[in-house]
Amino acid sequence: MISLYRPGTSPLHRMPAGRKLLLIGVLVLAISIYPHTLWTLGIAVAVVVAGYLIAGQGISGLWRQVRMVWMLIVFTGVFQLIFVPWPAATITTTRILLVILCAALISLTTQTSAMLDAIERGLTPLSRIGVRADRIALLLALTITVIPVILGFARDIITAHRARGVRPGPRTFVVPLLVHTMRFADELGEALVARGLRS
Amino acid sequence: MAGTIAFDRVGVRFGEHNALSDVTITLTQARIGVIGLNGSGKSTFARMLNALVLPGAGEVRVHGIDPSAEAARVRRIAGFVFANPDAQIIMPTVAEDVAFSLRGRGVPQAEIAARVTAELEVFGLSALADAPAHELSGGQKQLLALCAVLITRPELVIADEPTALLDARNRRLIIDHLFSERVPQLVLVTHDLDLAARCDVVLRFEDGRLLEHGDPAEIIARYSEAYA
Repeated sequence: MISLYRPGTSPLHRMPAGRKLLLIGVLVLAISIYPHTLWTLGIAVAVVVAGYLIAGQGISGLWRQVRMVWMLIVFTGVFQLIFVPWPAATITTTRILLVILCAALISLTTQTSAMLDAIERGLTPLSRIGVRADRIALLLALTITVIPVILGFARDIITAHRARGVRPGPRTFVVPLLVHTMRFADELGEALVARGLRS
Repeated sequence: MAGTIAFDRVGVRFGEHNALSDVTITLTQARIGVIGLNGSGKSTFARMLNALVLPGAGEVRVHGIDPSAEAARVRRIAGFVFANPDAQIIMPTVAEDVAFSLRGRGVPQAEIAARVTAELEVFGLSALADAPAHELSGGQKQLLALCAVLITRPELVIADEPTALLDARNRRLIIDHLFSERVPQLVLVTHDLDLAARCDVVLRFEDGRLLEHGDPAEIIARYSEAYA
């Protein structure tokens, strides 16, 4: 999950984050659990496409999201075709794609802080059994935030290999990536404390 | 007005290594420069002001607060700017990261939004409010880090080599903000001797000891002579 938020004034942008999470959550459940035929799956596709249009993302915005996951979808589809008949393979693969598109629709129309506030509010009742809702929300925020940083480390390591005229191998790539990531985790922990989060 | 920072026979050990030994000093100046070679103890000194490192011996007081006993309280009045801005960014977008600094401080939501807007304007980051924070340039990230500190209206700002990774333009912007009236007291750890020369007092560390402190021009001249 990475931050994809695109500012806008669509009904989905204006909808409170909690209600939106609930609504799209129900849609995801319906897509995942309902025993679909190709016809009912067609309706689910229409609903998701309508969601993108209502959110002001257009067909181009929808296509951008599909392009980001096309390798996963092709891999899943081919794998399914080996073991099950084509209608079942199509239904399963389309289900996965629709669920990913639903998740992206939340990210596209909701600021991370609003989403985290909603998650924190939703989890607050669990504080009675010792669940720290604020910590879970912070953990999610950090996860979203550090993904591009770690991707940046990976790019730097590949560039360093190229600059020295060698191809990155599993050991020469993974070890420095782990070292960079752990050092970054140390610095991030220190910054969290410095910004007032209790250790 | 600058508060009082007091170290009384303070020592810190990391394993077998003496990071800081027997440091005694009282500082009331508004601009305090800290210089020394790598590993000399200057960053340890700075981290003790924000309770990131606690003394193994002696006593520290920051504006009357004992960081060992009241770490949360000292962090509310003392903001910290690190050399690497990447590690200071917690929230995904610029405005959200600045707003994060005000969480848990009892500031109403409407006031948070207004203060974030105003602060981003001061730092020239308004156009980037909804941009992913990690896609900014290094200079913009450091501006964001400082913005996220100053929005809390700290009494003291501790900056550990804040200009180390910056180009000339962003270096100047950061320095202008650090030396502005919005920073009542600044502790600046730096290898940039021109920057240290702008301070009211300079502390020189060597091998974990406070070797000397006083007039910036004199301290810097002796330091340059020793290592130039």
